[in-house]
Amino acid sequence: MTSPYRPEFEAALSLLAQVSEAMRARGFTRPVLVGGAAAEYYTGSLLATGDFDLCSPAQPELEEEMQRHGFIKPSGPGMSTRGWIHPELRLGFEIVADVPMDGNVDRDHILLVENFDGDLTFAIIAVEDLIADRMGQYASGTARDRLDQARLLLRLNPDVDKVYLDRRIREESSGDYGVSDIED
Amino acid sequence: MASRTSKTDAKDWSGPRLDHAEHAACLAARRAQVDPGEPPRNEGTRRTASKRALLKAIEESGGNW
Repeated sequence: MTSPYRPEFEAALSLLAQVSEAMRARGFTRPVLVGGAAAEYYTGSLLATGDFDLCSPAQPELEEEMQRHGFIKPSGPGMSTRGWIHPELRLGFEIVADVPMDGNVDRDHILLVENFDGDLTFAIIAVEDLIADRMGQYASGTARDRLDQARLLLRLNPDVDKVYLDRRIREESSGDYGVSDIED
Repeated sequence: MASRTSKTDAKDWSGPRLDHAEHAACLAARRAQVDPGEPPRNEGTRRTASKRALLKAIEESGGNW
């Protein structure tokens, strides 16, 4: 099978899966992939990201595992960041919150991606919640480009739960938008 | 999108699951059917100071994302 993903993105996913497995082995929940990297996953790298945003309630332990897997904290002028970089793979991970979308995502709508790179797994926000997140940002008026991202995500993932998607878009956009606003 | 399943052999995961290979194959097929147009660019207007610093560090490490 020809993968739709960029090789460097797949390498980053593999690293995420390894860190996730280490967390699971220690008895912690896996970090949840959100944001631009989740958008890249659901678009087959049509939307490319600069780094990986993760949610985890066990931030110190996750950072320990990231260090064990080669991540370092950037240092130097202008490098005040919560993020970590992997100097060999030249990518970044950042823990942005304890839970996705301020806790508005039900645990039953977080997916476990299986059979990645063998039998590795990682957790990711549902595409419905990701689209709703994009629409919430669009509705805020601070990110007009998010409307096109939401439309692309839906076009490439047409088998979404549209009832749930519509509800989540309305919640995130304060009722301003629904699924009909992003359908072709 | 690939089907979501709730396999009973889950040891620690009670939620939905997504088979990566199936998902990737569905995406590749969908991309062949649908003209995605010019991929929308991230304008970066919502980046935090932390995010901007991280992206700067990635760029300085030689990353080209």
